[in-house]
Amino acid sequence: MAAHEILAATQAVVTLDVPIPDIVWPWLVTVNMWAKSIGTGVIFMLFLLLRKYPDEAGKLRFPVTVVSIIFIHIFLLFTLADLHQPFRMWHIFFHPHWTSAITVGAWMATLFVGLLFLLAFLSFIKKDNAVFDKVLPWVVALAIPVTLYTAALMSQCTARELWQMPTESAQMIFAALLSGSAFMILVFGGKLSWEANKSLANILALSAFMSFILYMSEYVFGPMKAEEVAAVLEYVKGDGPYTVMFWLGQWMAYLLPMLLIVLSRTSKSESILKLAAILALVGLYLVKHVWLIIPQLLPMS
Amino acid sequence: MQLGFLVDLHLCMGCKGCEIACKVENEVPLSTWRLRVKYVDVGTFPDTKRTFTPLRCNHCENAPCERICPVSALHYLDNGIVNIDKERGIGCAGCVMACPYGAIYIDPQTQTADKCTYCAHRVASSMMPACVVACPVQANIFGDLDDPTSNISKYIQVNQGNVQVRKPEKGTNPHHFYTNAGNVNLNPLASKRINGHSLFNKITTLPVGGHH
Repeated sequence: MAAHEILAATQAVVTLDVPIPDIVWPWLVTVNMWAKSIGTGVIFMLFLLLRKYPDEAGKLRFPVTVVSIIFIHIFLLFTLADLHQPFRMWHIFFHPHWTSAITVGAWMATLFVGLLFLLAFLSFIKKDNAVFDKVLPWVVALAIPVTLYTAALMSQCTARELWQMPTESAQMIFAALLSGSAFMILVFGGKLSWEANKSLANILALSAFMSFILYMSEYVFGPMKAEEVAAVLEYVKGDGPYTVMFWLGQWMAYLLPMLLIVLSRTSKSESILKLAAILALVGLYLVKHVWLIIPQLLPMS
Repeated sequence: MQLGFLVDLHLCMGCKGCEIACKVENEVPLSTWRLRVKYVDVGTFPDTKRTFTPLRCNHCENAPCERICPVSALHYLDNGIVNIDKERGIGCAGCVMACPYGAIYIDPQTQTADKCTYCAHRVASSMMPACVVACPVQANIFGDLDDPTSNISKYIQVNQGNVQVRKPEKGTNPHHFYTNAGNVNLNPLASKRINGHSLFNKITTLPVGGHH
């Protein structure tokens, strides 16, 4: 018998319980995921631009590497800030437990940071673009699991059925592509040709479209998968406490950027493109935050 | 050896003696619980009934908390207990997020995760867990699941068909069983939580579970 049928039959009410305080992973974790998306996303975009537009993208080698270093460090800083015992972080390196996505992610992120500094060294100190371009594919290859490991971590959270979806991995990759392209348009768009901007805009629009489809699929089909998912999604439906934030995020991150990109292509307006990029970056934070918080609102007992 | 727990909910009368014994034995800080008894009222007046369900760590065979812990602070003992090393934990709260039973909390004093250990320190000295000793009706049955002559094994044999675990669909294989349990006892979605509709309406929780 389904839980809602039992509830209707028994009229059961919890009259005494002291569950764990609800929000255990707060906004610090949202910033963590958001910053990591940008940190790896811009590396994906640099790789793409160097392939497609080597002449104009050449000058972006060092600045994009610096942006990636900054955002990966924001990600690491907020990860550290969220720990209740931040000074024991070194335990991950000296007592690693390899079944944990946190451990694997920490090691990969550390290696990723090392490679980013190598790229910075090659582009700024050695000024050796040939070696930079040889190292970059390896950095891109590592950026993929660095992007994905958060999905693995969330899937290890057995208590949160909403995160058990295989689509979480796709969401992480699309978030990196969306935020990477948006950041490139916003900060480096002026240094690139309209054609290059158009390519970035296409990636932004496509990743927004795919992300929106995935979220809507989970919104509509998720409740059919499990009662727990249905209960969690009630927080973003009707008068749910996160309904407004959920839809604001969907509009800002996905729907409006898609519309604005279509508009910018017809009017060839870089300003509209930049507006789309800003909305996508802000909206992505909201989308990630809602998805992080709502499963934590459901009592486990 | 595989230690396990069984609670006969038909016997439990919600006295909370186990809760208090656990608090005292393990010096569990204010606002946190290793073991707690949940009350659920069933039916509509005048046909109502109150149910009591002691909730603690399930010491799963396939423990999500052990798997997600990045530093092996949560680890298995040879007797099957999922133990916790508070000196090792980094306070990432991954285990809190992973546990489907809401059995792990962040200790406000040590700022690391903590939970029921089946009183591993007492078990090591051949003593029963504090909650078992305190229960006035012997609703808590503790013992070796691998030993067919142990009380818990006999209880499970006698009550075959009436032994349940919480959230079996999670695939965690808990070593904590209930007899005479209904859905309202074990399924959190099968009961409402109405604000203000509680025996103690002014329960205060300290901001210890995370950043609020």
